[in-house]
Amino acid sequence: MNHYQLTIKADDKQVVLERILQVTRYRGFLISGIEAKVNTGTNIGTIVLFVRSERSITLLVDQINKLIDIKEVHVDKSETA
Amino acid sequence: MASDKPQTGGSLLFNVLQQHGVQHVFGYPGGAIMPIYDALYDSDVNHYLCRHEQGAAFSAVGYARASGDVGVCLATSGPGATNLITGLADALADSIPVVAITGQVPTSAMGSDAFQEIDIFGLSLACTKHSFQVTDINDLEKVLHKAFAIALEGRQGPVLVDIPKDIQLAQVPTDSEHFSPLKNKVKLPPADVVAAKALLTAAKQPILYVGGGVGMANAVDELREFARATGLPSVSTLKGLGALDPNCDNYLGMLGMHGTKASNLAVQECDLLVVVGARFDDRVTGKLDEFAPNAKVIHFDIDTAEINKRRNADAAILGDLKINLPDLAAELTIGDWQAKCQQMKADCAWDYNHPGDTIFAPAVLNEISNKMPENTCVTTDVGQHQMWAAQHMAFNDPSNFLTSGGMGTMGFGLPAAIGAQISRPHDCVIAVTGDGSFMMNVQELSTIKRFQVPVKIVLIDNAKLGMVRQWQDLFFDGRLSETDLSDNPDFIMLATAFDIKAKQITKKSEVTAAIEEMLDHNGPYLLQLKIDALDNVWPLVPPNTANDKMMEST
Ligand SMILES: Cc1ncc(C[n+]2csc(CCOP(=O)(O)OP(=O)(O)O)c2C)c(N)n1
Ligand SMILES: [Mg+2]
Repeated sequence: MNHYQLTIKADDKQVVLERILQVTRYRGFLISGIEAKVNTGTNIGTIVLFVRSERSITLLVDQINKLIDIKEVHVDKSETA
Repeated sequence: MASDKPQTGGSLLFNVLQQHGVQHVFGYPGGAIMPIYDALYDSDVNHYLCRHEQGAAFSAVGYARASGDVGVCLATSGPGATNLITGLADALADSIPVVAITGQVPTSAMGSDAFQEIDIFGLSLACTKHSFQVTDINDLEKVLHKAFAIALEGRQGPVLVDIPKDIQLAQVPTDSEHFSPLKNKVKLPPADVVAAKALLTAAKQPILYVGGGVGMANAVDELREFARATGLPSVSTLKGLGALDPNCDNYLGMLGMHGTKASNLAVQECDLLVVVGARFDDRVTGKLDEFAPNAKVIHFDIDTAEINKRRNADAAILGDLKINLPDLAAELTIGDWQAKCQQMKADCAWDYNHPGDTIFAPAVLNEISNKMPENTCVTTDVGQHQMWAAQHMAFNDPSNFLTSGGMGTMGFGLPAAIGAQISRPHDCVIAVTGDGSFMMNVQELSTIKRFQVPVKIVLIDNAKLGMVRQWQDLFFDGRLSETDLSDNPDFIMLATAFDIKAKQITKKSEVTAAIEEMLDHNGPYLLQLKIDALDNVWPLVPPNTANDKMMEST
């Protein structure tokens, strides 16, 4: 099992968190934790996502990046087993 | 805003549609979308009343695929909106630009389990490219423009805009606030053309593997020029059919589960795959680990997420095919390989000889293909008849073959044909359907009747859910569970009830005259072909098997 930490910057829309969670689950990544600062009135939401999966993190990064509201995805840490 | 600007959210919608060149929409009214239908009453946009929202969604898909323009469908809240979902999923899987507008209960009632309230915005997350719920009239205009932009940009797809009833009724403000403009945050990496060219010129047995992306990128001419310049032997996916010239000597046909023997054998043997707008779908690759086992890969796509998703690329060329394809063109010395592929093609050519009097669907579809007017648009449903159409008909453009590829949705063919015919009123449109699939959106015969849509319906009737029956016979010990349709309705009487001319034939000797009568008929027409219930689609690569281990008969 590989463990990853991602930081995502997004247009601060109400639904953005739901979209990220849906894509993450659907693409085969288990969420171990999440820290989100959204709906702050600054127009940018920041989400730190801790996930684990057998799959390579680029598969998830590419899919999250396709979400229209996402501005940036950064892999902070990756521990591959 | 100028004084001639529309006054309500509803009329603003049609104003924006017209700005995007939308002349035709497909839909079905209801309580929560009544203000929009009221605005439609004064609008110049043509509305086609379908008889089920799924029909409206598929007609929008057919319209988009046949024309290259965005297809638009409308539905009310709750059940109207949920009825769109299958069509949106289909459009997502096949990357079709569709804008779906749904009515919603008023913002004040949202979240209270109001009558006909469903969280379609939530439901849309998994079946659209993007979606919006407009809760402020100030946002409506920008959201609608963005919906069109998103549907068309990059990899195309469906976008849903959910509009609560009070927003439809609201006065449009004179100076609407600006929406944050869309920025493309994913910088495509520079195309790996040098590496790709080295791979291409070093290859001894390269294959061009073409998918639906070519048609979506409007790059048919560039692809054909690339195929000509390189002389690459080529294969196509189901959705790619029509992109390559079907008469080219180097073209081997469709690959994958029901692909031609020559295509699958050549791909298994090749040392390089030049993949253009395709995504290694499981119906194409068979057992992934054993797909083209000796091949390096050059992958062209618009979607970064497709690179290395199912097969690693040795060189990736991301971006617009129209620009990128010509860059890789090179003269190759692969004469022996070309000759070998052409020999395989000749050795495995289709055989239309078929004993007895019973109608042989592959031969009929091939005859229709040879006789249909140029630029005919063919739609299919899903099943054996779909695979026979893909195998035995020839298309000169991807917009002339509309089939539900990624989703494989029964019920697609008839409404898609209606949408295609409305977008291309001067072209012949033929829906090839099965007796199972036809019944899934049969209510759309009413749409055909009302608008006298001159679609030709070719109903391949085996009195079975044939494709499932074939798998039950081959892989489930012949235990025919729930695939018998021998109590089908009288399809001739059914068509006649909708004022559609119809004919049933049962013998080979009747085929030619029946095809000619259908093609000569001016209005809608249904031709029912009774075929043997036990006819199978060959070749067939069993699931999770390497593509060279195809079955060719039982
Ligand atoms: C909406 C939907 N439900 C179920 C299926 C599964 N399915 C695939 S092919 C098929 C049989 C189709 O029968 P018919 O339209 O008569 O075509 P045939 O195979 O007989 O030519 C079924 C049930 C599907 N593809 N789509
Ligand atoms: Mg059937």
